[in-house]
Order: sequence, then C-alpha cells, then structure tokens
Amino acid sequence: MLLSIVLAGVAALNGNGLRAQTGTPAAASVEPSLERGAYIFRAAGCLACHTDAKNKGAPLAGGRAFETPYGTFYSPNITPDKDQGIGAWSEDDFLRALREGIAPDGSHYYPAFPYTSYTGMSERDMRDLKAYIFSRAPAATPSRPHELKFPFKYRILMWPWKLLFFDEGRRVEDPSKDSRWNRGAYLTEHLGHCGECHTPRNFLGAVKRDRVLGGNPSGPDGRKVPNITPHPESGIGGWSQSDVTFFLESGFLPDGDFAGGAMTDVIEESTSHLSDEDRQAIAIYLFSLPPVE
Amino acid sequence: MKRLSTAICLGALIAATAPALAADEPANVIKYRQNVMKAIGGNIGAIAAVVKGEVSFTDDVAAHARGIHEMSKLITHVFPKGTDNAMAADTRALPAIWEDMGKFEAAAKALEAASANMVTVAEAGDPSAFGAALGEVGKACGGCHKPFRAEKN
Repeated sequence: MLLSIVLAGVAALNGNGLRAQTGTPAAASVEPSLERGAYIFRAAGCLACHTDAKNKGAPLAGGRAFETPYGTFYSPNITPDKDQGIGAWSEDDFLRALREGIAPDGSHYYPAFPYTSYTGMSERDMRDLKAYIFSRAPAATPSRPHELKFPFKYRILMWPWKLLFFDEGRRVEDPSKDSRWNRGAYLTEHLGHCGECHTPRNFLGAVKRDRVLGGNPSGPDGRKVPNITPHPESGIGGWSQSDVTFFLESGFLPDGDFAGGAMTDVIEESTSHLSDEDRQAIAIYLFSLPPVE
Repeated sequence: MKRLSTAICLGALIAATAPALAADEPANVIKYRQNVMKAIGGNIGAIAAVVKGEVSFTDDVAAHARGIHEMSKLITHVFPKGTDNAMAADTRALPAIWEDMGKFEAAAKALEAASANMVTVAEAGDPSAFGAALGEVGKACGGCHKPFRAEKN
C-alpha cells in the first residue's frame, strides 16, 4: 500500500533548481585539511548524534537512540574502527553516503541520517570532514540495529522515498545574493541541517517545503521545536540580528532564558564553536526567510 | 531554668513554623520560583546587552553576576514536592526533578559555582575571561533545563 502511494507520487517529482547534479567524483587535487575538517565537523554537528553520551559511550561510537513515530533509530559507529566503524571506507564511500544517502553496500540510509541536508555540501568540505573523522580514536562498539515499525523497517522503501523527497546535489551559490547570505544558507540548510528538527515533516517523514524552519510540533524525542523564521509572533521576527548571534554563541535567549531540549547540545557542540562571521551569516539567512505563521 | 524554657518554647515555635512553610500552596510556590528564575533571566539579559555592546554599563556587570549568584543559592529549596507539571498547573518543572534529586541538586550547585566564578571574573574586570565565564553559566543553565524542564507550549 505504502509503496504504491509512494510510486504514484513519483510522477509528481519536482527537482530543486539550485542543485548541481553529481555522480560523486573524487577530484583529489588538494590534500585534505584536518583543521578545516575539525571546523566542518563542529558545524555539521556530527558528535552529538553519533555519541551515546547518556550511557557514557565513546565519542562517535554511535548508539544514541532517537524515538520517532516510525520506531527507534540508533546512530551508528562512525569512528575509524575497521570492523565496527567506517575505517574500511574509501573516500568515495564517504562522499556517496553524504551526497547520495547510500551505504558502501549499496543500501539506502534512512533520513534520520541527514544526508538530505549534507547532500548540498561542497566536495572539499566532505573530504576534509572525512580526514578529520578518520583522525579520531577508533572504538570497537558494534552499531545497534534500528527498531522500526512496519512498514518502515523495509529499507527498500527508501528508494521510492528518495525519488519523491530527495534533491541530490551540491548547493550552487545564488548569484543574486551576497556572499554572507550564501554562506548562511549553506550553514543553515546543509552543514547545520537546522531544518531536520525545525521544519515539520509529513506522514512519510519528509520535511514540509512550504513550512521551512517554521517549527516542528514533534521534534527529537517527541519534543516541540520552535519556529525560527522571522514571523513577528510565532517566529523570531522580534529578535535583533545580535540576539541570534548571541544565542548561537551562548545559548541565552533575548529574555535571559536559556535554550531547551536538544538545542543545548547544538549550542555546546556546534554553534558556540563557529566563527562570529558564520554566526552572523546564519542570522542574515534566517531573517531573509519567508515568515511562517 | 527560665533560659531553658525559653529555648524550648523557641524550639517549639520553629518546629510549628517549619511544616507550615512546607505546606505553602503549590501555585504560590510556583509563582515564587518563577520570580526567582526571572530574576536570574533579567540579570542575564542585562549582562547580554553589555556584552553585545548595546549599552556601555560595563561596571554594572559584577552586580548582575552577584544577583545571579545569590538567586542560584535559592534554587534547591524552591522545588518542594507536588510542584511538578504532572501535579500542578502553569509550571514546566518535570517530575524527573524528584525522581533524581541528587542529580538536580548537583545541577543547581553547578550554577552556584559557575556564577561565583563569573562574580570573581567580573570584579577582576577582565573582559577577555568574562565570555568564558558567561559560557559556563550558560552551560549550567542548560545542564538543568535540558533534563528537568518541559518545552514551552
């Protein structure tokens, strides 16, 4: 049933004009930079999801549980351990996972892994990120299989899902906007994958494109995630640009309250480590969004 | 003898008063505690305005830091049983607080320590260290709000 619904929708497939088509070639012209990789690692927020901090798991060894309406996802081990982690992956394997959402064995990832956002990353960023992750300590923790409900446990369903909802390809800069806006869009939509939590999803788990960053009644662990579009009442329309940058740096809201839920991890592991310029770019981009009620 | 009986009377008086305190109306305790939290938030908001360069009251930062530190010492006792969001209205305090009081008290102590450090740094007048001190206070806020406070509706 589900499959037929999904297949019926394929005809309505609509691509995003801002993406470059890719076959993921690895043009190894520049040596990867660990320093850049470390920064991208922070901006992409890999650590918080791929570490089971609650149970004192090793960094990047996976096992963090994500309760969703589709069942429980467990993040996998992405340490460079050859057997239990991704240590045996080639650079092409790594790029394909991020760009196309496909594992080295050819199976499709569930979009709990935000390849739907990472697909827009530049190839250089992906290569530097891979180099950095491979410089971390390996951990021999086996990845725990997801515990998903029918029919979501059938991974093959991800193929038609991707045809419907996934726009593959590196982000191309919008020449009508300045470089700060473009950088902000890249950080917000791709590296930072903000929409994965802040945009609501439809019943098939795809983000609703008419409500981008408009708040999600059912975010991670069923918790409510706020609207971060510049709507004056329901969003951040009443904030100043420095309110946004200060929040991303410190976690303090304009009224002196502190970020809640999963955002505390995002502040601590990701946005507080970004440069001031990047935090400003995110703010510029957020204020340029269409306000969602 | 007279002194002893005075002491006994005084003891009895305190004993009689203490349970009365514990029996404050949950709704009133919740309002009180929210004012304590707003006092912290207000001081943070004021510090933020200075840090962001919106106002030039740099010398006031230490006073705000002291305000936060004083309020942080009140946190553990403004959460009596029966004032969580499962049993009372208009609060986001999760029952998890009373399920793991040790962790909750440690989280409150973390704010006490972080705010004490922020007072020291602010009084020393070292702006380069202040950002880090404020960051630690932020971590302490998050360290308690994340496990123990529900999202806004």
